[in-house]
Amino acid sequence: MMSNEQKKEPVTGTPAEKAAEEAAKTAQDAAEALQNLAAAVDPAAKTAPAADADDDLFDFDDDDPLSATGVSKKSLVIFFLIDTSRSMVGKKIGELNTVMEELIPEIRRVGEADTDVKIAVLTFGTQVRWMYSEPILIEDFEWSRLRADGVTNMGEAFRELSSRMSRNSFLNSPSLSFAPVIFLMTDGYPSDDYKEALEELKQNSWYKFGLKAALGIGSEANDEMLEEFTGSKDTVVHAYSGGQLAQMIKIIAVTSAQIGSKSMTLSDDVNHELSEEEVRSAKQKLLGQQIQDSMTNLGDADAISLDTGW
Amino acid sequence: MVELSIGQEVEMEYGGKAQVLGVIGSGGQGVVYLVRYNGMKWALKWYDIDKMKNPKAFRKNIQNNISDGPPSNKFLWPKYLTKENPDGTFGYLMELKPESFDSFVDILNTYKLSVDPLTGRSTKTPVRFTSLFAMVTAVINIVNAFRQLHRAGKSYQDLNDGGFFINMDTGAVLVCDCDNIAPDGSNFGIGGKPGYMAPEVVRGVAKPNVQTDKYSLAVVLFKLLFRGDPMEGEKVVKDVCLTESSELKHYGQNAVFIYDPDDASNRPVRGIHDNVIKFWRIYPDYVKDAFIRSFTLGISDPNKRIIENEWQKIFIRLRSEIIQCTCGRTNFTSMFKQPDFKSYKCPQCGTIFDTLKFSNRKNRMPLYLGSVFYECEIDPDSEDFQTIAGELVENKLKPGVLGFKNMSDKVWRAKMPDGDFYDIPPGKGFPIWQGLVIDFGEVTASL
Repeated sequence: MMSNEQKKEPVTGTPAEKAAEEAAKTAQDAAEALQNLAAAVDPAAKTAPAADADDDLFDFDDDDPLSATGVSKKSLVIFFLIDTSRSMVGKKIGELNTVMEELIPEIRRVGEADTDVKIAVLTFGTQVRWMYSEPILIEDFEWSRLRADGVTNMGEAFRELSSRMSRNSFLNSPSLSFAPVIFLMTDGYPSDDYKEALEELKQNSWYKFGLKAALGIGSEANDEMLEEFTGSKDTVVHAYSGGQLAQMIKIIAVTSAQIGSKSMTLSDDVNHELSEEEVRSAKQKLLGQQIQDSMTNLGDADAISLDTGW
Repeated sequence: MVELSIGQEVEMEYGGKAQVLGVIGSGGQGVVYLVRYNGMKWALKWYDIDKMKNPKAFRKNIQNNISDGPPSNKFLWPKYLTKENPDGTFGYLMELKPESFDSFVDILNTYKLSVDPLTGRSTKTPVRFTSLFAMVTAVINIVNAFRQLHRAGKSYQDLNDGGFFINMDTGAVLVCDCDNIAPDGSNFGIGGKPGYMAPEVVRGVAKPNVQTDKYSLAVVLFKLLFRGDPMEGEKVVKDVCLTESSELKHYGQNAVFIYDPDDASNRPVRGIHDNVIKFWRIYPDYVKDAFIRSFTLGISDPNKRIIENEWQKIFIRLRSEIIQCTCGRTNFTSMFKQPDFKSYKCPQCGTIFDTLKFSNRKNRMPLYLGSVFYECEIDPDSEDFQTIAGELVENKLKPGVLGFKNMSDKVWRAKMPDGDFYDIPPGKGFPIWQGLVIDFGEVTASL
């Protein structure tokens, strides 16, 4: 401890520089005090460091201001609902597999500091099947190539999706979640009775608030049915060629992941107090707008129809 | 939008061509490309003008910013405009971010991802401040950058976590995305995000301006220090799903600070907001009070928000209260014991630290080998918080003997053990002792 008794030894008549040097030499206790300051360990503290009454105020194990973990993130699950019925065999499923593999690294950064993005893939042919048993963090996600076979049990897929879109199942993040992105891709008409299943799905709150988009592949896909699914015309697109298919999957997946993983965007066009009514489905509208904007700029890179050449 | 392809050349406004070398990133307003122009590499921000309300006014504003120049070297400012394409598309060049700077996004994540271009697999590298000093310096630098910007009569408008780069070793700061910066009161169609935007902007009743910048600045500072969202607590988490309506509610109409002393409805939740819970305990009251004011009174009354100069003083003080103990513990004095009003004691190893009292401030500065004070702390007229004026060093000829070294360019006077004052010219030092008084001119300091 710094000692309190201080001997004043006069150093007279020396210039400042010399005095500075002399001071420490002559004033022994000053020097002692300095050493104490550098590395003094209170002997009492050494023997009984926890003796002080206020010790419990300090939790030394975990008080480093630099020991932060990442900020608590919101989570976003992107559901891909993919038709793997027999009609998808060949170029369609090949193109789809390839573009999905390439897409994963592109979506990886969209969550940034705010959001953990997870992926869940549900395929429907004769059987309805999840690619993995739970949503996988995008950083760890690996695409497992799909094979097409069987009929189009879309209704069953809707039922399965609805049962998993629950706080007790796939959407069980302890923190906040953004409403999920649900992206449906199909090349035909459901083989089963999908209507009742879709009505059930529409009762699911996660579905209600979710961002929905659909891609019809080839000329058999029914846009009206897809509109029923997304709830709006703007979020339904149609691919007629392999090139279009790849571009559209990318555009929809990246755009919906970007919009879905972030807070709503405010525009400074607004000149009045916003109501809840006005902002409701703002993201779904924005998604529709952006998908439509992107489609107008889309060149038809390869003109060979998906339905020809088999 | 019209995207550029690699190898493509873009004509610049005042002649010459920038050649596209690659893509750096993309954002809400367009894509940023790596380009070569006049033999140097630059970043080219290329706009998606379809998303702009008024591209002509936006371009004119950038032009004005270019001719005004940056408020200081802390800004990655627009340098050159490109020519307009026939369809009106344009972009601008800015300097590249130096390698040694990390993005605020990566800092909040505490890691950065690098993706192997061949396999697509990503690996994580930690992103952390290497010292407490660097972290507080970064905070001071951010505050100072916004002070400079606001003094130039401009507002940043859409301050968020994408707007900064920080050097994690030094605390140096670069403000990027400066293209939306506009004279206070003007708006050129900027979107923002709830969470960073002031509640009145979220609600739609105000446009971004200097006052709303101040709110966003407080959010950025809070996130950097406490690593959490100031408005996300129990009340928000209860909603489970963050819809547009719940964002409007929790960040606009009914925003409640997680540590509002008069409203406990939105406290942080253990298991989710552990960072905030841990760090709120560590910081001294004067720092916490400033955030409480910003996020309680400052929610409804923009004039109650903390001004940059006040933040700057708060964090210059906080920097002077860091103790690096010989046992390896580094923390603020608020996390050290205080056996008496003149000293601090390390709760881990028991080391006692003496303190220095400056005549112009209430708090006492803890002393240890390597502790420093800055120009602005010894000269009331100086705003220089970066130049070290004095440092506690060990005498090279007498090991164990500590003293202050005058690193400023002014002559100080110091009281020696003989009771007399002596001149201490720049570069010279003097030992510390119990009766030490240093006269810096207008400010004095004593042990």
